[in-house]
Amino acid sequence: MELATESAPAAEATQTVIEARALVREYGPVVAVDGIDLALGEGEFLAIFGPNGAGKSSLLGMLGGALRPTSGEVRIRGVPLDFSAGAWRRRVGVLSHKGFLYAHLTAEENLRFYGRLFGLKDLDSRIPERLARVGLTNRARFEVRQLSHGMRQRLSLARALLHDPDVVLLDEPFTGLDPSAASVLRDVLRELRDGYRTVVMVTHNLSEGLALATRVTIQVEGRLAWEGPTTSLEREGFEGFYHKVVEGRT
Amino acid sequence: MSLYLDQIRAIIWKDLLLELRTRERIAAMGAFAVLAGVLFNYSLDQARVAPQDVAAGLIWMTLVFGGLLGVGRTFYLEAQDGAMEGVLMSPAPKDAVYLGKTLANFALLFPVALLILGVFWLFFGLDLGSNPGILVLALGLGALGFVALSTLFAAVSSGTHMGETLLPILVFPLLVPMVVYGVGVTGRIMVGRPVEEVLGNVRLLAAFALVALAAGAVLFRFVVED
Amino acid sequence: MSITGMRRTGTGLAVVGLLGMMFVFWLSFFWVSTEASQGVAQRIFYVHVPAAWTTFFAFGLCALTSAMYLWLRDERLDRAAVSAAEGGMIFGTIMLTTGPLWGRIAWGTYWTWEPRLTLTLLLWFIFLGYFMVRSSTENPEKGKRFAAVVAIVGALDIPFIHVSVLWFRSLHPQPVVVRPEDGPALPGDMLTLLLTSLAAFTVIFLGLFMLRYALEGLRRELDVRARKVAA
Repeated sequence: MELATESAPAAEATQTVIEARALVREYGPVVAVDGIDLALGEGEFLAIFGPNGAGKSSLLGMLGGALRPTSGEVRIRGVPLDFSAGAWRRRVGVLSHKGFLYAHLTAEENLRFYGRLFGLKDLDSRIPERLARVGLTNRARFEVRQLSHGMRQRLSLARALLHDPDVVLLDEPFTGLDPSAASVLRDVLRELRDGYRTVVMVTHNLSEGLALATRVTIQVEGRLAWEGPTTSLEREGFEGFYHKVVEGRT
Repeated sequence: MSLYLDQIRAIIWKDLLLELRTRERIAAMGAFAVLAGVLFNYSLDQARVAPQDVAAGLIWMTLVFGGLLGVGRTFYLEAQDGAMEGVLMSPAPKDAVYLGKTLANFALLFPVALLILGVFWLFFGLDLGSNPGILVLALGLGALGFVALSTLFAAVSSGTHMGETLLPILVFPLLVPMVVYGVGVTGRIMVGRPVEEVLGNVRLLAAFALVALAAGAVLFRFVVED
Repeated sequence: MSITGMRRTGTGLAVVGLLGMMFVFWLSFFWVSTEASQGVAQRIFYVHVPAAWTTFFAFGLCALTSAMYLWLRDERLDRAAVSAAEGGMIFGTIMLTTGPLWGRIAWGTYWTWEPRLTLTLLLWFIFLGYFMVRSSTENPEKGKRFAAVVAIVGALDIPFIHVSVLWFRSLHPQPVVVRPEDGPALPGDMLTLLLTSLAAFTVIFLGLFMLRYALEGLRRELDVRARKVAA
């Protein structure tokens, strides 16, 4: 099967927002990420597919400044991540399958806590607005442990986007979502993409990824084995192609 | 600077609010303080040993062991649902995170220290001596030095697969000087020695707490980085 | 210096140091004059004091290289730190066994809370923590950082421990036998022997340190090669 091999011309047109150069991450003798280069501009949505153990989460961790690369560097709008508290952290929002929420704080308190860490001034108006956006207005005063899994996921989404980041990093965000939470997430992600934010999403869910992404990459054993724009992909044939890439047959 | 202080305040607010909701750690430490007093009552032959003579050491040992119960869990609460990762990815400087958590732990431990003093006073009819104010100051400085070291090393031990078991092994050798100074102050004040005699030790307790806080603030980032 | 160079120099130093130590043993048994008040037992002093000195030197080296490791993130600094820590552990153990042996005869008790003995005991336990955190993380880099933090805080704690153990002593009866350091200046032959022994111990330590450093380097190289074969 012949799939896209041409590079994405749109990527060069917009300003580069997040950029990775020769990223390597080792855990002792284990190499999780083995030399990855990436550059994403405004409005680009990259879906990273790949089998377990391909180093996808490590890559995402380095892009978000949670993991220090063994070598190589990440730049956000030209500013290299220096692992201090730099202002660049305000530009990044992270949503993982873990919620980063405190079970004994209310939905409102969780957002307030993060808002204060980010130094946001308008929390009294911002928090109700964001809770409304994810449909949790009437749960604002509920402790997180009293919320359903789907509600928690929606709250996590509100938390990740509270400070309006330019770059949004998502690690398996659709895992375990009920249909209504998944649809809220899908809408929000589409909005981000159309609002010229930059999104990187790691996922196993090929159809969800293809539906949202502008670019797709397949990561195998710490390297990007294949990369291309979604426009040139045949949706039906992609799964077969994916398996071929993963098994190293292309 | 005001943002830095507000980030510290946010972490203290969050930790104390969590404690207010769960009451896990304060209950554990408080119960330990009272039960330790009860056990000491039965392990001392009060016909031969006057509680007044040994109380100083027992008070400080109860503070150290009780403190470990509470501080040891400080990062366990954060690890659930990955909350700490979220905090570390925020723009809050790592030293602000450390100072916030340490001060929140202090806010929990200091009342426990006063409770320990109260328990010993009540159970053993201790004479608090020439200057109870200095006693409280010494316990406060001791509690501060203790949380400064043990918050840092609680972060270390929670990052290992040994978890909380490792914490006492790491902090006990380091806490020896603090216990020596603290017992010195407490013992002397309780037998009615003049305040001037213990001021040197109080200063050493303060220096210990400050050095521990500074070291923790600088080194914390190397512990939590991934 | 290359790893091979390190290994050769280390072996050379260790051999020279061991020969030196045998010479020290010969001197302390057959050459040096017997100290008047303590008799033969005092001769353990020629092992005890150099071991103590080496322990403190090793700990200082470990803390210094640990701090530099956190700052520069150079693998070699961590290798140096762990090599120094192992040396400190060995010589600390020697110090902690010879001290009580002498104490039993001189003071009539195996253990006293003599300040320097106490300080070494606490250092030994800090080293123990150093190795425990190092080996109990999944990601070895994390273990290295944790260990470095333990070493640095340990070093900062030393002045406090020192003041506290000295101060603590004043609450307790003084040892009845005056320690050798407090007595009149050492007679010439004793001083010569002490300095010789000090040199021998330091050379042994440096030899072991370099050997251990080279070993860590080889281990790292092995990892890299294994990875290349696997790829």
